[in-house]
Amino acid sequence: MSSPGDSRRTLARRRELGLFLLGAPALLVIGLVFAWPVLRLLSLSVEGGTLEHFEKAALDELYVTVLADSLKIAAMVTGICLLLAYPVAVWLSRAGRLGLALGLFALLLPFWTSVLVRTYAWLVLLGRNGVINRSLRDWGWIDAPLPLLHNLGGVLIGMVQVLLPYMVLPIYAALLRVDPDLSRAAEGLGAPAWRSFLRITLPLSLSGVSAGCALVFVLSLGFFITPALLGGGRVIMISMLIEQQVREFLDWPFAAALSTVLLAATLVIYALIGRLTRGTRHATP
Amino acid sequence: MTEQGEVVMTIQLKRRGILRTAGGLLAAALPLPALAQRAAPPKPDRIVVNASGGAMANIFRRTYFAEFERRHSIRVVDTSPVDFGKLRAMVNSGNPEWTVTEIGGQDATRAKEMNLLEPLDTSIIDLSNYPAVGRDSHVYVSSAYSTALGYRTDVFPNNSQPKGWAEFWDVRRFPGARSLRNHPVDNLEFALLADGVPLDKLYPLDMDRAFRKLDAIRPHIAVWWSTGAQPAQLLVDKEVVLATGWNGRFFELTRRGAPVATDFTGGSLKSSVYGIPRGTRQAYWGQQFLQVMTDPRLQAVYANELSYAGLNPEAMNFIADDVRPLLPTAPENMGKQFWLDVAWWTENGARAQERWNRWMLRG
Repeated sequence: MSSPGDSRRTLARRRELGLFLLGAPALLVIGLVFAWPVLRLLSLSVEGGTLEHFEKAALDELYVTVLADSLKIAAMVTGICLLLAYPVAVWLSRAGRLGLALGLFALLLPFWTSVLVRTYAWLVLLGRNGVINRSLRDWGWIDAPLPLLHNLGGVLIGMVQVLLPYMVLPIYAALLRVDPDLSRAAEGLGAPAWRSFLRITLPLSLSGVSAGCALVFVLSLGFFITPALLGGGRVIMISMLIEQQVREFLDWPFAAALSTVLLAATLVIYALIGRLTRGTRHATP
Repeated sequence: MTEQGEVVMTIQLKRRGILRTAGGLLAAALPLPALAQRAAPPKPDRIVVNASGGAMANIFRRTYFAEFERRHSIRVVDTSPVDFGKLRAMVNSGNPEWTVTEIGGQDATRAKEMNLLEPLDTSIIDLSNYPAVGRDSHVYVSSAYSTALGYRTDVFPNNSQPKGWAEFWDVRRFPGARSLRNHPVDNLEFALLADGVPLDKLYPLDMDRAFRKLDAIRPHIAVWWSTGAQPAQLLVDKEVVLATGWNGRFFELTRRGAPVATDFTGGSLKSSVYGIPRGTRQAYWGQQFLQVMTDPRLQAVYANELSYAGLNPEAMNFIADDVRPLLPTAPENMGKQFWLDVAWWTENGARAQERWNRWMLRG
């Protein structure tokens, strides 16, 4: 005879199995189109039982410098996105129905335009004789055009514009889950608004912040059209070098080694972001 | 996954390069059925021509396709894009779907080495008046384009633009921001020409010398471009006053009245090529299709509209007077340029690119 505890456990297990089966098709797809190719990629990088590709990818000055630069640029893009996105997310979470609709529309509108087109639009805006520089000169604010394009600054502007929604949306979602009564209670108890923000709203939204940062950081690392066009050739991202190896030279083992090094670096940073914000997730009500 | 497998195989094959080349030579030396001596094989209801599509497909439809359909009453179906991996897979499968296919610039040598193409039957395709570069055994050169110098005519009026790369390098006589492609191809050649190497002594390229010369121009390059549309855009926006670029892009601007012109001195000629996938059932009709492509009148239509001129010298007779000087293949421009050595780049491309990346990073 089974005890009531046993049958409850059986029931729970059965429910778990049911949920697993429902999720199985998705897991299968991920396994087939993501996990399997990644494993293939890993095996390709050590093709012929040699580590020479890794040696080159992880030790050669060219690739180490470019990888470090790419991580730095991704971190800068993530930081700028965070600074710009947080206030927008707060505003959205408190906006009325019309404000919310307009805000989300403005935020999602760029998704319907190709990244390439948007990048070319920046060329028109930021160039030496572009809209911005010409206006500033016409108003007599500057004598010589500002170097807005074909440098790191141009790359950051272009990438932040593309990636901003990926930061706003997770933070917005996290902020929606924060019980507004908590802030009200804090203010009722005499806490100034900034303190209630720092002690309540900000910590409770950190799960969204970490999700947004992880998304933007990882997506930044994959960019190559935007930095190639807006950087004027002076900004080299590791993704550009991988693309060269794949498309031009068909050196897939070396491309795989470069990708694996990039993947490893990304996972380490991802783990760090997770660790930094882990404590806060449990605090979510 | 099959595509990945394809490329893996390509790489493995690359390692066995010597064996493969030997195999190719052997196959080429074997006696081949003399197609011309046979009567024309039965007509299929259609042939498939694979090319890059876009504006080109449109003109092809009106010219080569229409003419082939008129002459032989066989329908031409066109597909795109150009895909080397797919060509390989098709030939390996033994029954290529394509009757004729365009082959991307640097892949022509590889396609021949891997024995993916039927030999051209010159008893059908008349190449007798073509220049040497257009008389290959396996690939048909449909047209030529050039990487040349585009310049602003308002900054360099009355033919006062730099002529040749030594003058391009001379920033004192020809001041202004410049743009070069972010790629070693062409640029190494241009640097060597600027340094005084004669047109016919470029290859094998002296990379040390080329990079030393590039050091001198680097501070004056405002933009290293990476897509073909960029140099045209940079000139129109006056971001730079001198830019290298593909002649078709500058041609379009000039024709539309923008203050942009092309100087072909020291330009780098490249060819667009076509081949017949080995083993295709309609090989004979493929040869006939390529013969249609040699028609100078049809080549001229193409050149008048897109500036990509065919190699048949007679095509020049059908080209508008105002278009002629804008064509890389016009006799007066042809002599000032060199043909890019695709074989050298196939062999040394990866090494040159890595060195280029290092050089860019140091800047």
